[in-house]
Amino acid sequence: MNKRPLIDFQQVTYAYPRMGNGAQARPALASINLQVQEGEYLAILGHNGSGKSTLARHCNALLTPNSGHVLVAGMDTRDAASQRRIRDTVGMIFQQPDNQIIATIVEDDVAWALTIRGLPAEEIARRVSETLEAVNLAHLRKQSPQRLSGGQRQRLAIAGVLALRPRCIIADEATSQLDPLSRQEIVRLLQQLHREYGLTIIHVTHLLEEVMEAERVLVMEQGNILMQGRPTTIFADLDRLRALKLIVPEPLELAARLRTAGVPISPTALTEEAIVEELLS
Amino acid sequence: MSDAIIQVRNVSYTYAAKRDAALRRPALLDINLEIARGSCAAIIGITGSGKSTLVQHFNGLLLPTSGSVIVDSIEVGVESAELQKLRQRVGLLFQFPEAQLFERTIYADVAFGPQHLHLTRGEIRTRVLEALEMVGLPQREYAQRSPFGLSGGQQRRVALASVLAMRPNILILDEPGVGLDAEGKEEFYQCIQSLRQRGITVVLISHDMAEVASLADQLFVLHLGHLVIQGEPRAVFAQPAALREYGLAPPPLSSLLMQLRQRGLPLAADIMTIDEAFASIAHVKQINLSSNS
Repeated sequence: MNKRPLIDFQQVTYAYPRMGNGAQARPALASINLQVQEGEYLAILGHNGSGKSTLARHCNALLTPNSGHVLVAGMDTRDAASQRRIRDTVGMIFQQPDNQIIATIVEDDVAWALTIRGLPAEEIARRVSETLEAVNLAHLRKQSPQRLSGGQRQRLAIAGVLALRPRCIIADEATSQLDPLSRQEIVRLLQQLHREYGLTIIHVTHLLEEVMEAERVLVMEQGNILMQGRPTTIFADLDRLRALKLIVPEPLELAARLRTAGVPISPTALTEEAIVEELLS
Repeated sequence: MSDAIIQVRNVSYTYAAKRDAALRRPALLDINLEIARGSCAAIIGITGSGKSTLVQHFNGLLLPTSGSVIVDSIEVGVESAELQKLRQRVGLLFQFPEAQLFERTIYADVAFGPQHLHLTRGEIRTRVLEALEMVGLPQREYAQRSPFGLSGGQQRRVALASVLAMRPNILILDEPGVGLDAEGKEEFYQCIQSLRQRGITVVLISHDMAEVASLADQLFVLHLGHLVIQGEPRAVFAQPAALREYGLAPPPLSSLLMQLRQRGLPLAADIMTIDEAFASIAHVKQINLSSNS
């Protein structure tokens, strides 16, 4: 299958500009090659400063490479004329939903980007309803965003992006400020958007427990992709993940120790539920 | 409790919302609690449960609508002259405190607070160096560097040093671990532990149950303005059904063990650490294995 990837990194290097006359900055991305296929669920893991957000920001031209190319649906992100279409193709949500919520009523917020793109009123109304339904906020459409919980606000931010009908959504640490239950809710929503609409998802996080159901996991360190593979492959080496300053979820650590001690637990059991089943069988 | 540094008695609080009737629901309702001197207490609850409202009473940012709050022998709000003294004794570190760093050097940032206390230059210097030492950023290496070149975890510790330079007896931390990676968290937690050894009472607001489990010796669960559960972490985490009712998830390990117990594995209800869990599961499994063979 030689389908063109949705996002194609070709030898991408990037260093943030330095203020003052300090030493040459270490590149935040070092010669990255990466292809993301349409419909893929990709997770990018790494500790703070590993380069994962920098990589994510190259996927929709928020940053452009110092050298190399990023192609999104065949469009070069350095081509200024394509950037608007690139950002409609690849939407992004961030750590702080409040930074991308602008209206004072939930449904107006979802409609905003559609309005400035000049879509007809009935098309806007239709998309707003569909989108609010998809993120399960339809019952709150007349609310003020300020009255929503953190998880609901993040769902609203997702709705704002989703209304533009992107082919890919990037969640850049979109759960890291949420309480555990809201966090699970957002991860489930991303999985559902992937399953039901075939959206490409790029889930950037430092939390291992959020990537267990991804199709492919990349682990970044110092601007390089250090490991990549299925979750079962990546999580086979917990010591290495720990050395990369990642927090190993307690159930996974417990399962690994029990396995070493001779209790039969399949290495494919990554989630709490799966580990419980293994221990009871 | 004989030596309570914070005593909250029958405290209710209602925000004075002008227009919005819905906001006039009391944010705190008849709260009674005591926090022991030198302990680490965690206040947990979902957004809107009242936890931030409660801790803002501890340094007089808010005054109770009814009831009383006594902090380090000062009754909050009775005499306005005492309020300044109270705020020096109670240091408050907000969420994402590194966003408040602004000076050119780490030294200047930490010195900013003490400079407003009418101290001599020498006294200010002593306090800054001591505070930097306490957060594990020795002055020889860090004092003259820019705070903006540090990692997120180090920046957060500079912000903590700024609060410590005021020499508080009580330190309130709002979500101290949020946004830090494993290493940053670990260093910050070690720093909190070392402050406790110096006798500083720590009150933390958190929804990270793993964080709470590793740091706190007393938990207070708030829900819709009520204090609904209190106790040691072991006892509180042994009530996962109640926690879920209040929108909280027990730490993943507790949750895993609870499912195993519910499905018939005989494990104790108050296991907290991986070592304990490993020992008791290995024990149970070995018995099963040997009885099968």
